[in-house]
Amino acid sequence: MIKTYLGIDVGSISTKGVLITENREIIAHAYLRTQGQPIEAIKNLIKELFKDNKNIEIKGVGTTGSARRLAGVIVGADVIKNEIITHAVAATYFYPETRTIIEIGGQDSKIILLKDSVPVDFAMNTVCAAGTGSFLEHQAIRLGIPIEEFGDYALRAKKAATIAGRCTVFAESDMIHKTQLGIPIEEIIRGLCEAIVRNYLGTVAKGKDIQPLILFQGGVAANIGVKTAFERALGIEVIVPQHFLIMGAIGAAFIAQDYTQKTKSTKFIGENLLDINFKTKTFECRDCTNFCEVIETYKNTQIIDRYGDRCGKWSEKLPNII
Amino acid sequence: MKVAFPYLGYDTIALKKFVELLGAESCLGPPLTARTLSLGTKYSPELICLPFKITLGNFIEALEAGADTLLMAAGARKCRFGYYHYLQENILKKIDNRHCFYAISQYTPYEFFFKKMPQIFGVTPQKVIYATWLLLHYSALIDYFRKLIRLTRAYNFYDAQKKELEALRIIENVSSFKEVQKAKKELRKIFSPIINTSNEIIRIGLVGEIYLMLEPFANYEIEKELGKLGVLVVSKRSLYRHLKHLLKLDLFDLRTISNAYKYLKDSPGGEAIKTVGEAHIFAKKNIDGIIHIYPFTCMPENIAYEALQKLARDYEIPILSISIDEHTSKTGLLTRLEAFVEVVKRKKFKG
Repeated sequence: MIKTYLGIDVGSISTKGVLITENREIIAHAYLRTQGQPIEAIKNLIKELFKDNKNIEIKGVGTTGSARRLAGVIVGADVIKNEIITHAVAATYFYPETRTIIEIGGQDSKIILLKDSVPVDFAMNTVCAAGTGSFLEHQAIRLGIPIEEFGDYALRAKKAATIAGRCTVFAESDMIHKTQLGIPIEEIIRGLCEAIVRNYLGTVAKGKDIQPLILFQGGVAANIGVKTAFERALGIEVIVPQHFLIMGAIGAAFIAQDYTQKTKSTKFIGENLLDINFKTKTFECRDCTNFCEVIETYKNTQIIDRYGDRCGKWSEKLPNII
Repeated sequence: MKVAFPYLGYDTIALKKFVELLGAESCLGPPLTARTLSLGTKYSPELICLPFKITLGNFIEALEAGADTLLMAAGARKCRFGYYHYLQENILKKIDNRHCFYAISQYTPYEFFFKKMPQIFGVTPQKVIYATWLLLHYSALIDYFRKLIRLTRAYNFYDAQKKELEALRIIENVSSFKEVQKAKKELRKIFSPIINTSNEIIRIGLVGEIYLMLEPFANYEIEKELGKLGVLVVSKRSLYRHLKHLLKLDLFDLRTISNAYKYLKDSPGGEAIKTVGEAHIFAKKNIDGIIHIYPFTCMPENIAYEALQKLARDYEIPILSISIDEHTSKTGLLTRLEAFVEVVKRKKFKG
């Protein structure tokens, strides 16, 4: 039996999972679409990861991503951590010199500043999601170009068309306007990549001290056009790590390893979770005019998690899982 | 006469007592809820700052509850707040025209004590001065309570929640200067046994726009959420300090402004200069992190934001800026707070 640790990152667009050994070698990883059904996605992810790895023993589990809480209660996670920390932990393991992490995911983008391998500051997009993965994907579909080839199109262009990057809707009408003028698609895509970078540097990274080494992670890092646009705007090399897609999951696995080595036990419920019926229900509490939406997670018929109430009268009846 | 004024977090109790001392009945309407905000948003210009929307919704609900006299603070010099009352008066007149709307200017003490308040409430100026003196002491008591509850939350969150109501009841029952002193002792008795200072905590300074800092509904209960994460919140803003500032009794004021000077030489309006000054004091005092909250589209605080970025670099202190409007999601806010607290903890305890 190989002792392994499981890291799961359930994001808005994709669900990522990774199995690492005690020596922090990656023995299996998986990447699938969340498709609005996180519970199904988690089950498929577990199936995928365990398919070729029968001879393993899970010693610890960590979850992260926007559905980290749900994923955590379903698989029985030992640690539930937000994306900032997991990304930072994974990045500093592979590149201890990292000072800046640029992370652009499906629906949010963030910047993490580190010093001596410790995150010291971060920022996340607050009022605008222009330039995140789901917008790029939408444009790729609209233009009929596979998202994987988007970056190559941008690289082929000699110059960039000017695209407004402040708002996704305006960016789209700007793109349509430019295509109607007959500007080649390559230049438009390059323009879009530059607009994304401009928007990122102007909003998320506003006023932050960007120092090398710079790591670029998250789904959008697959787009070489955006990476090149970053390098052009910053004038420094930007590194896309080998596992840029699953850095969050890797970080979660590392944190779970550190944690369970202290506690010597795991809450992981095992592979039989595939046979359990998980369900979430919501109801509106009408006891005051706040009308909180309370979210409940059921394991078969038993309630395992409940949150969303402002006053705490529903959630405090269950043990705090975080 | 049924008087309404906007809710102001815990300090509402003190303001209520002030109105009652002047011989009027207070009628504030139901506590602030999602309905208040959606009412306010419905009648507000879209890009106006969040405090305008909440206070407007607040007034509409107070009118529904039967209030006939509305009091709104006015005068903030260069900031939009100074114009709130013109607009609110207009909007409210269209909704219900049977009420009186008074704008209370904050920077004209003579008019406040001798003309405006005596005229509205039909009392002598002496009475107004006396009521203001008591208001100062009530708000000092609430400031004291706030310090205690912050400490308790950081060390023992769930017990703090249980004792909060009991403590608020004591404050509500205070009705004289003597009882203020007695209540302070009682509060200490309630909280000191449950403050268990054995475990290590982090301290985070809260700066920003005053209404968002004082009204938990407007800031999505940020102080409670931070307490839940085991953070001791430090803040210099309260009704008590604001009153002292207006009455020119606050010595801390000068210190704040001189500390802001390195990053912001002149006040751009609102409380931006205080935000920067307080943040600078926090950074010097080895506070572990700073959270800056302000309404989205707030001009002065956006200027303070730039100054704070520079301060963060100089002192290597983590700063989280949160701009809030009616579209802010609580989940998003919690993710940021959680991550920020984790960053601050890792920085302090090195891993």
